[in-house]
Amino acid sequence: MAFLGVFVFAGVGGESEGLEANSNDYYSSTNLADGWIYSANLDRGFLDEVYTLGPTTEMERQLVVDSVANFSNDPEITLHFVENNTISKFYLIKGEPLNISDSDGVWLDKSFADAKNIKVGDNITFEFNGFKIEKEIKGIGYSPEYVYHASKSSVIPDFSKLGFAYMSYKAFPSEIVPYNVLNVKFDGTAETFSSLLSEKMDGKYNSFVERSEHTSVSQFSEEMDQHQMMAGIFPVVFILIAMLILLTTMTRIITHQRTQIGILKACGFRDISIMFHYVSYGFWLVLAGSILGLIIGPLTLPKLFYPSMSATYILPSWKPAWSMDFFYVALAMIMMSILVSYYAVKSIFNEKPADTIKPKAPKVSSSGMIEKLGLWNRLSFNTRWNYRDTKRNKFRALMTIIGVIGCTALLVSAFGMYDGMNDLKEWEFNQINHYDSKLVIDEEASISEIDNVAKEVNGDKIMENSIEIESDSAKKSGSLLVLNHTDLVTPTDYDWNKIKIEDDEISISQKMADMLDVGVGDTVKWHIMGSDKWVKTKINKIHADPTSQGLIMSSDKLEELDLNYTPTGIVTTEHIDRNYSTIKTTNSMNDMTSSWDELTEAMWLLIYILIFFASLLAVVVLYNLGLLSFTEIEREIATLKVLGFKTGALRKLLLTQNLWFTTIGFLLGIPVGYYILKVMWESSGDSFYILPSISLTNIILTAAITFSLSIFVNLMFSRKIKKLDMVESLKSSE
Amino acid sequence: MSTIIEFKNVDKIYNSGNHILKAMDNVNFKINKGEFVIILGPSGAGKSTLLNLLGGLDTLTSGEIIVNGNHVEKFSDNQLTGYRAKNVGFIFQFYNLIPNLTALENIELMKDIADVNINGLDVLDSVGLKDHANQFPAQLSGGEQQRVSIARAVAKQPTMLLCDEPTGALDSKTGVLILKLLQDMSNNKETTVIIVTHNAILAEAADKVIRIKNGQIESISVNDNPKKVTELEW
Ligand SMILES: Nc1ncnc2c1ncn2[C@@H]1O[C@H](COP(=O)(O)OP(=O)(O)O)[C@@H](O)[C@H]1O
Ligand SMILES: [Mg+2]
Repeated sequence: MAFLGVFVFAGVGGESEGLEANSNDYYSSTNLADGWIYSANLDRGFLDEVYTLGPTTEMERQLVVDSVANFSNDPEITLHFVENNTISKFYLIKGEPLNISDSDGVWLDKSFADAKNIKVGDNITFEFNGFKIEKEIKGIGYSPEYVYHASKSSVIPDFSKLGFAYMSYKAFPSEIVPYNVLNVKFDGTAETFSSLLSEKMDGKYNSFVERSEHTSVSQFSEEMDQHQMMAGIFPVVFILIAMLILLTTMTRIITHQRTQIGILKACGFRDISIMFHYVSYGFWLVLAGSILGLIIGPLTLPKLFYPSMSATYILPSWKPAWSMDFFYVALAMIMMSILVSYYAVKSIFNEKPADTIKPKAPKVSSSGMIEKLGLWNRLSFNTRWNYRDTKRNKFRALMTIIGVIGCTALLVSAFGMYDGMNDLKEWEFNQINHYDSKLVIDEEASISEIDNVAKEVNGDKIMENSIEIESDSAKKSGSLLVLNHTDLVTPTDYDWNKIKIEDDEISISQKMADMLDVGVGDTVKWHIMGSDKWVKTKINKIHADPTSQGLIMSSDKLEELDLNYTPTGIVTTEHIDRNYSTIKTTNSMNDMTSSWDELTEAMWLLIYILIFFASLLAVVVLYNLGLLSFTEIEREIATLKVLGFKTGALRKLLLTQNLWFTTIGFLLGIPVGYYILKVMWESSGDSFYILPSISLTNIILTAAITFSLSIFVNLMFSRKIKKLDMVESLKSSE
Repeated sequence: MSTIIEFKNVDKIYNSGNHILKAMDNVNFKINKGEFVIILGPSGAGKSTLLNLLGGLDTLTSGEIIVNGNHVEKFSDNQLTGYRAKNVGFIFQFYNLIPNLTALENIELMKDIADVNINGLDVLDSVGLKDHANQFPAQLSGGEQQRVSIARAVAKQPTMLLCDEPTGALDSKTGVLILKLLQDMSNNKETTVIIVTHNAILAEAADKVIRIKNGQIESISVNDNPKKVTELEW
């Protein structure tokens, strides 16, 4: 048990620690930029100015352009023409290192290369801004700026449709196109740097993106946060479970040894040596289990999670890491085992040696309140017996109930997660979005070209942008959605009722409103990422969206705010497989839902693990405590058997108590499970909004599992009752 | 008088691994309805074994045990349970009351298993413990507990009362009280009472005395004029 507890704790912890360590290693070995300054004029003078800001330590210029590679599906490849490959370096997997004086070679995204089955030595052609270049692939690898890489229109990357490539600035086909991005490294915080920059160099650059705002970095760190949260809640729950199980098991085992201990004591063994024997027995077992768990946990559990993650995120290595926390937990486990066995043995020592050789005498029961009520006399013998037995063994009752609470809470949250994931899918893909295809518009496209395509596919234009929103209390990044009387995208409230956002209204998503601590009537300040124009707007409505948090408004409203309406996509109910020159990519609803399914695979695994552990917890705790109780009442059972009670009646006697505890634990476990679920969803990342809900099916399933486990454990005792030797059991006290 | 219990060539062999022990060796006897029977023998003679076989707590190795015309050795587990419930009242040396139930509840418990309509208080009264009805076993003295245990056994109006050293844990004064109670049961209610003891003095009070040794019947004697338990010299 110690093994399992430490195993899960260190395993899940090792996974998230591993993510963190791997990405940190990756970021530092490739010297990922601390920030990116976008400007059309990155000349020497500009560099000097940035350098004299103070904190700047390193700079490198890049020319970054979007291109289309010559494949039938027009994959979108972002080209980086780099000055010297010192910041945000290309991470080579195959081929030769990036050579800055090589103007013929290209270093290509490995995920894209794999998806297209391209090899080092092949040639590849890119088209952009009227240029067409053909280069030889000299190397294949990764980039720290592309841990996460998805197009603006879909959250889930499709590696055959997009990628990136690095090459020397010398490879650029024209002399006159200047660098457009400056990668910078600096000391101190990004905030200081950013404010220095805007103070001293206002107007000379378009925008500045700090590391934590970079899409790839922020998306991945959000994912890591989720994992850390997972590593924060569940392993703790498991450790508590493991401790509960360990505690009950050790108490059971030592209590079983009661007579043995008494005899040893009577034989003249010193307390200290008996104590040492029993304490060390538990100690070695727990120690061995913990060490094994510490080693095996991080080696195995992350392997279950990483594959589905590596479908979305690109890291050169997926290795687990160890943290000191694991050792502390293992240590706590070991300490606890020592304490528990110490106290269990000690409590036996405290009895007189003569008494220990006999089975424990039942404590005197006293009549309580309930017995004095008239109703008592009408209760069955079974009820009375169980009521008093519970009163006599409050500790055992408490442990059993806690065990059942744990089991129920885990099941409720596991099924709740299942429901939540399905709800989210239904909400996002059926309740809000009703289109079949979403066409992503090329940035270069003109309004009339867009309108033509929209007309041709019977589609509606939408505009989606990343924005940054600020209230008096917080600043968050989110998304902007501009709709134009479309019924293909219909915002809803948290009950999935469609809500109408009028032309002159702005609606904020519930989660964003919560994060910013604002409501209807309040004012927020926001700007579109990449632009420095901040606008202040009043919130008119609140909508709810499961996957994107931010603002929704009409194009009229946008223009009223003096912002440009530039559609980024066209949604249509038609299934589009044609290509349009103005369209970068087309995403079908099917693609999106199946990518979503892929993304959530890790979640299913977690749910199964939860259900398994919940069941294990219930069985072990109920069995341990049941056995503890059975040993104590064996004599009573034998007596009742002699008196002529049927096995069935005796089983019912034990079952009654089991069911009471299970019922209490079940009822208390539901709110606990709800709470776990709530914490879980709340910490699932800034962009997700899922309301914790517990469906009737959830309750029924949980009840079915919890109660069948309880009855299953009871059946194990039923066999014990049947086999109980009356003569032997009654003889034991003579 | 009619024979109610009969042992025919009963053998009981304990086979614990390599060690074989014959605890009952060709035991034959008959007991009549309403008899007050004392089984005497040294410790380890097989007295408890005999009682356990008769009470359906244990099964014999070979032979026949006939109670009320029924072959107990042929009973299934379920039938044995029913047999114990209806026919057998057991009284142990250590009382074996249910500690979680009051004296009265320990008696009324019998309503659950035997189809009897009894008033628990009346039964308690018959053993002189009416005032202790709501006390728990641990709050009663040994003698009182044993009386509750007798009350519990007779409450279901069994064919026979089987008492395994019922006074073994009691002082002699209390013991006499208990034995008197048992003797009265057999006289007034025609209940067959079988008492296992190693106190030979009791023999004079019995209708029938069965002596056993090493698992064998040593002798069976019938008393035509048994004394009252209270008349014996202790
Ligand atoms: N379950 C058992 N396994 C082996 N031997 C047993 C068992 N029960 C009793 N015996 C043996 O059978 C013999 C008779 O025991 P018992 O009937 O209890 O004697 P007593 O006359 O003292 O009541 C003893 O030698 C005892 O050791
Ligand atoms: Mg005996």
